Amino acid sequence: MPSEVERLRRGIRLLSDAIVAFSEAGTDHHRVLDTIAQSVATVVGDTCLVLVRAPEGDDLITGAIYDQDPALVSELRQLFANRLGAEGRLAREVMLTGEPRLTPRIDLQAVKPVISEPMFALFEKIGLRGSLTVAMRVRGEAVGVLNVLRHRDARQPLDELDRELLQDLANHAGLAIANARLTDRLRESDAIRAAKEQADRASRFLDAMIEHIPDMVFVKDADRLAFTRFNRAGEALLGVSRTDLIGKTDYDLFPPDEAQFFQAKDRETLNNKQLVEIAEEPIQTASGPRWLHTKKVPILDEEGTPLYLLGISHDITDRKRADAEILRAKEQAERANKELEAFSYSVAHDLRAPLRGIDGFSQALLEEYADKLDAVGRRYLDRVRDSAQRMAILIDDLLNLSKVTRADMSLRTVDLSALAATSVASLQRLDPDRAVTVVIEPGLSVRADARMLALALDNLFANAWKFTSKTPDARIELFAVEREGQRAFAVRDNGAGFDMQYQNKLFGVFQRLHSEAEFPGTGIGLVTVARIIHRHGGQVAAEGAVGGGATFTFTLGTEA
Amino acid sequence: MSERVILLVEDNPSDEELTLRALKKSNILNRVVVMRDGAEALDYLFRRGAHASRPADEVPQVVLLDLKLPKVDGLEVLRAIRADERTKLLPVVVLTSSIQEQDVVSSYGLGANSYVRKPVDFTQFVEAVRQLGLYWLVINQPLPT
Repeated sequence: MPSEVERLRRGIRLLSDAIVAFSEAGTDHHRVLDTIAQSVATVVGDTCLVLVRAPEGDDLITGAIYDQDPALVSELRQLFANRLGAEGRLAREVMLTGEPRLTPRIDLQAVKPVISEPMFALFEKIGLRGSLTVAMRVRGEAVGVLNVLRHRDARQPLDELDRELLQDLANHAGLAIANARLTDRLRESDAIRAAKEQADRASRFLDAMIEHIPDMVFVKDADRLAFTRFNRAGEALLGVSRTDLIGKTDYDLFPPDEAQFFQAKDRETLNNKQLVEIAEEPIQTASGPRWLHTKKVPILDEEGTPLYLLGISHDITDRKRADAEILRAKEQAERANKELEAFSYSVAHDLRAPLRGIDGFSQALLEEYADKLDAVGRRYLDRVRDSAQRMAILIDDLLNLSKVTRADMSLRTVDLSALAATSVASLQRLDPDRAVTVVIEPGLSVRADARMLALALDNLFANAWKFTSKTPDARIELFAVEREGQRAFAVRDNGAGFDMQYQNKLFGVFQRLHSEAEFPGTGIGLVTVARIIHRHGGQVAAEGAVGGGATFTFTLGTEA
Repeated sequence: MSERVILLVEDNPSDEELTLRALKKSNILNRVVVMRDGAEALDYLFRRGAHASRPADEVPQVVLLDLKLPKVDGLEVLRAIRADERTKLLPVVVLTSSIQEQDVVSSYGLGANSYVRKPVDFTQFVEAVRQLGLYWLVINQPLPT
């Protein structure tokens, strides 16, 4: 058995080792606790429990457990996993009073009633012989307790020397724990500061975003509906700086009827707790009346009580002005169109009547006074009649042209082959002596305005009819072709044709490639054709050669 | 037997003369009553105003009606004819300058029996009048009076 002096010497050496170990454990809280448990178990033995005071109250929590047998450590950990509660009564007393408790020889049967069954079983299993508990205190404040359990046979019972050594260890351990805790707290406050900084940065970013949103953004408190926030676009729109806006209500800033309207919408938003949209909202600003498109959103707290009203207003004044201008232009166009219609109507009626007089009375002269006129006089009267009739045709053609420009389109499925046959039939009726071979591809069906398309075909066939009048074996064909991947239709004749260098003149108003004496015409027919095709979204083109016939090809953009 | 007159409603003197000439050239010898505006035409048809004393049995066989007329236009005259028990079955031929779609549609909509455009070419005009006269005065079986 080692002498008292030997034990003391060894104890002091171990104690100083332990203190070094404490300081080396640094500021890591858990490492400090583990180091304490291990050092104590080495110095005093056999098992050490470091019980620390819970952050609030006097409860004790197991901070660390050490024994050379890891199996025992894990069993103890399970037993001491929770707060000690009633079972920790003795340890708590030690902590609060500072009075150590040394039980060199434990009568397990005597403590059985005050400890739990598993604890008793474990103590019995290891053969618990003695227990020593001392308080850890720093500057008079209880930090926790160190508890040593002795159960290995080789050791002598715990005694006063052990108590003194443990108390010394406890004093240092308490300090180490307090330091580690302090460091933890400092670290915690660092983390809080960092989090706060991050929150500040996020808040500044949001502020900047709201500030730079190009629409007016404002916030009102739900109670008074006073402005609590305003962005730059809002200041610019109203022409008022935010210092003059914050704290004010709509009644301080706008005419009463406007303010009343704004606040009614605010209340609606807050009461219904849902977004309210005001598509067109008039507002008086420093630079005159403007129009806003506003959305109002309620901002609620966790219980759903409205705290704020958030509003976003987009200035639609320019758009509204543009809309009004478009409307005005449209009305103007409609008016002009009506006038044009009235004009056409009048032309259709009034311009023809005098022509009928000219023609009719010339004819009457020719009939009634033939004996008083010589051949030249009669020829002059014929010329008068020709002119009157030509002018009548011109008027009709112009009216048609104006009609196809203005008329509403009504698209439906149209039998192009049938329309072509009708055109040819009426040409043949007016000119029964002509023998023309007409070949129409059957079953050509298109989507078009039937009347317009009929007029276009009338013109194309009349053209072909006219320009084949001096061709023996005259032939006119209508057939479908493909042009740039699109279905197209061609009207081909073997008549007089035209010089391709004048191709661009074909579709110009009053442009003619033949003299009146050669082939009569008004020069409006093909313009009408082109306009009809264009109104369908299609294209028309002509190919030909002098004496080699002409082919007019058109597409219809309305094809499915 | 009642007299089979033709009622010509026409304000243009040239057209009036040409129409009469065309009728004559077509050997239509029925008497032609000419009214020069819509109001006068209605007075004649309904025997009122200046025409209150028109013999009751002088019933037009056919009305040749121009559309552009002073005072009451042709479409209004047509509407009034169709609205009255006495004249609602009277044959009315619209004889006018235009074939504006709206005129054709309105005329038939109001119950015109026929719509003929006056050709500028007098030869064609005569032919049109001849066929009209032939149809309405000879071929067509009138309603028993």
